[in-house]
Parts: sequence; C-alpha cells; structure tokens
Amino acid sequence: MRAVAAGDREALRILHQRYGNALAVVAERILGERADAEEVAADVLWQVWRQAGTYDRARGSVGAWLMTVVRSRAIDRLRSRNARASAHERAGDEAGAHGAADPVADLHSAERRRAVAAAMATLHENERAVLELAYFSDLSQSIIAERTGLPLGTVKSRIRSALLKLREGLQQFGR
Amino acid sequence: MDHDQLKDLLPLEALGRLEGEERAAMAAHLAAGCDECEAELRQFREALAAMAMNAAGEASADRIWSRLESRLKFEQAADSGSPAEAMRAPSSARGASAVRRWRFATAVAAAAAVVLAVVAGRYANNAELTRRQSADRIAALIDQNRALAVENENQRRELAIAHLKLSASGRLTQAMLAPDARVIRLGPLAPARGAAGIVAVSEADRQAVLHVAGLPPPPPGKEYELWWIGAKSGPLRAAVFAPGANGSATVASTMPPVGERLLASAITLEPAGGVDKPTGAAYLKGVP
Ligand SMILES: [Zn+2]
Repeated sequence: MRAVAAGDREALRILHQRYGNALAVVAERILGERADAEEVAADVLWQVWRQAGTYDRARGSVGAWLMTVVRSRAIDRLRSRNARASAHERAGDEAGAHGAADPVADLHSAERRRAVAAAMATLHENERAVLELAYFSDLSQSIIAERTGLPLGTVKSRIRSALLKLREGLQQFGR
Repeated sequence: MDHDQLKDLLPLEALGRLEGEERAAMAAHLAAGCDECEAELRQFREALAAMAMNAAGEASADRIWSRLESRLKFEQAADSGSPAEAMRAPSSARGASAVRRWRFATAVAAAAAVVLAVVAGRYANNAELTRRQSADRIAALIDQNRALAVENENQRRELAIAHLKLSASGRLTQAMLAPDARVIRLGPLAPARGAAGIVAVSEADRQAVLHVAGLPPPPPGKEYELWWIGAKSGPLRAAVFAPGANGSATVASTMPPVGERLLASAITLEPAGGVDKPTGAAYLKGVP
C-alpha cells in the first residue's frame, strides 16, 4: 500500500511540474491576485489528481482540459469574492497587460511557445485585446462592449475573427 | 437557429460566453450530435488553451508544491489515524476507503428502499392524508432512492478508477499526463463485465500505452489483442498481451493509424501471438 501511494504521489509531482506555473498564471490573470491564484492552481492539481478518471470527458487534450478547469475555478472564486466585497473596489481593473516576469518553464517546448506566439502575432491588437478580455475575465459580451466602448456586434465579430486567426495560425506554425 | 448560424457562434461557446436563447440553441444542437460543430468547438478550445498556456507570469511552482505537500501530509496523517479522520480526508483515490464508502452507499440505498416500503404502507393506511400528498411523498422518496443509486454507481466507478490508477505504471502516468495526451476509456462487453481499460496516446511523446484491469485469465494457447479500428483500414493490430494473475496489465501499443479517423479501440481474445484481423470475442471496447 505504501509503494502504491508513492507511485500515486509521483503522478501528482509530474502534474505539478508540467502544469503548476501555467495554472497559476492563468488564475492570476483572472483573479489579479497572486496568493489566491496559487491556491486555485493547487486546488486544480489536487482535484485533477484525485479524479484523473474524469478527464476523457472533455474529449480534448489534457492541457486544454486543465485550462478549462482552472479558468472556471478562478471565475467561481472571483464571483464569490465579488459577492462578498462591494463592487466599488475593482471597477477599473482588468485582465489586461501584465508585467511579464520569468517565462513559464517546462510546459511547452520552446518551439511550441514560438508557434503560439507567432499565431498570436497574426491577430490585430484590438482583436487580441478583446479575446484576452473575454478569456481572462468573467465579463459578459455586453459588459465587454460597455468597457471597451465597442458596439456589441463588433465585440462578437472581433472575438470570432481573433479565434479563427489563432486557430489558423496554430495550424500553420505548429508542426 | 440552424447549423450555419450556430457555427458562427462556436467561438463564443468555446469561451463560455453565450447567453440566453443562443446558449440554449447551442446546447440543443450539440446534444443532438453535430460532428462538425463538435470538432470545431474542440479546435477553438485547444486554441484558447494554447493561448492561456503561453501567457507569461511569475513562476510560483515552489509555493504551489508546498500547498500540495501539506495536503499530502494531512492525508497521510488521516491514513494512519482514526477512521473518523480518514473519512474526512478527500479519499476518492484510496482503494480501501472507496470500498468502505461503496459498501456504505449500498447499505444506505438498501435502507432507503425499506423505508420507502414502510412509508408507502403506512401512508396507504392513513386516512387523513390525501392520496395526492402521499403520492408526492413517495415520489420524493423514489427520487431520493434514485439519487442514492446514482451515487452508488459513481462510487463503483470511482473504485474501478482507483484500482486502475493505483496499479498503473509510471509509464502510463507519463503518457496520460503529457500535455497533448488523449485518453480512450475501454468499457466492458459481455465476456468480461468486471473489466476496465484505458489507452493513453501522446503524439508528442510518440507513445501509446494500454492499461487494463479485471480481465479473466486467458485459456491456454490464447492471448488478448488490442486493436485500432480505423474508418478506412478497419481493425489494425495494436498490442498482444496476457494479463497478470490479478487480471491487470500495462503494455506499450503501436500508435493509432495516421491520416485516418479512428472509430474505436477494442480488445479481443485471440490465438497466442496474435492475429492480423480479429477472430475472437471482444472483451473491451471504447470510442475516442
Ligand atoms: Zn452544427
């Protein structure tokens, strides 16, 4: 039983090594707060490790599944935090530009990172901004329209064209 | 809304940003099984995940690990501590505890059935209650009992998964946890009701690994054979193996066929050494 537990623990270590930083970075972009983000990342790793059997349901890659889980966990936390705190506090702050510190190591090969960066570079700046705002936040389309001063239809079409370009770019640059 | 209109909304669906009518229409369309939208949605989700994984930020792996470590320590303490502590700890992956909870759930479900019968009998005899009231009450109890049955089923599945996880080798773990890993879960067919299997495929690592549990020992002169079933090629030999005494095995398999849609993966019983096309009964099967 001990040996088995040790093997199990190894799986957690691999998961942590491969995804820990990336999960925390995504959670931080959404939550805007470091310690909370690390806790969300730990929660997700723990949950995933405990319930590894559920991940085929996403029917995508493990990476995509984990990003989905961490994003929804972070958004849940944001909601419960916002429900507690009053709204005045974080009116202007957004999931926008972030001082890039160390690159997140180990998750992607350098090659893959370059491919994704190249795909992102095919987006217009205003497409990228709307896409990131939609992904790294809990804002509805209409709130995004309000915040950016764009018509709702434009928000929708920018998100759409941004994601189409990103997908195309990944197909083109990724292998 | 038709397919074309909904297809335009897939990027917003991938972001979880559809609302109201559009959201409902999308859910119905996907539930009805549109392969094209399903595939496109998956691509958008992968693209978003790639963007997310590329996001730059401060590294905090050490602090995350210390959070995980303290949870592990808590678990270990619970493991060697009192049953009450052990019950409190998250325990989905611990075999013994899963068995305990499974038994518990079975007992609760059985007890609920008895209560249901007793309550139903008493209500029928109680003249003060309208028929309507007792029908509602019984319906509620039936619901409750059904919920317990579902929970029981979940526990059973959890137990099977725990078993798979606990016996899986490091190699399978590696393949399953690769960033691009895809997993095909193999479900039991008639000859092996208690069996379960997983095939994990990582294109990046060029590795495919099969893990099975609960297979009956093959008769003399026979072995199990794993197949990739392609849309054009039909069944292709993937691995030949015999499980250990406990019915489980972890084996490397060939990669699935390239440039072709994979319809399924299956395990059949075949002459030892394997054959080129399946001839025997299928024991496990799964759809990617
Ligand atoms: Zn469709």
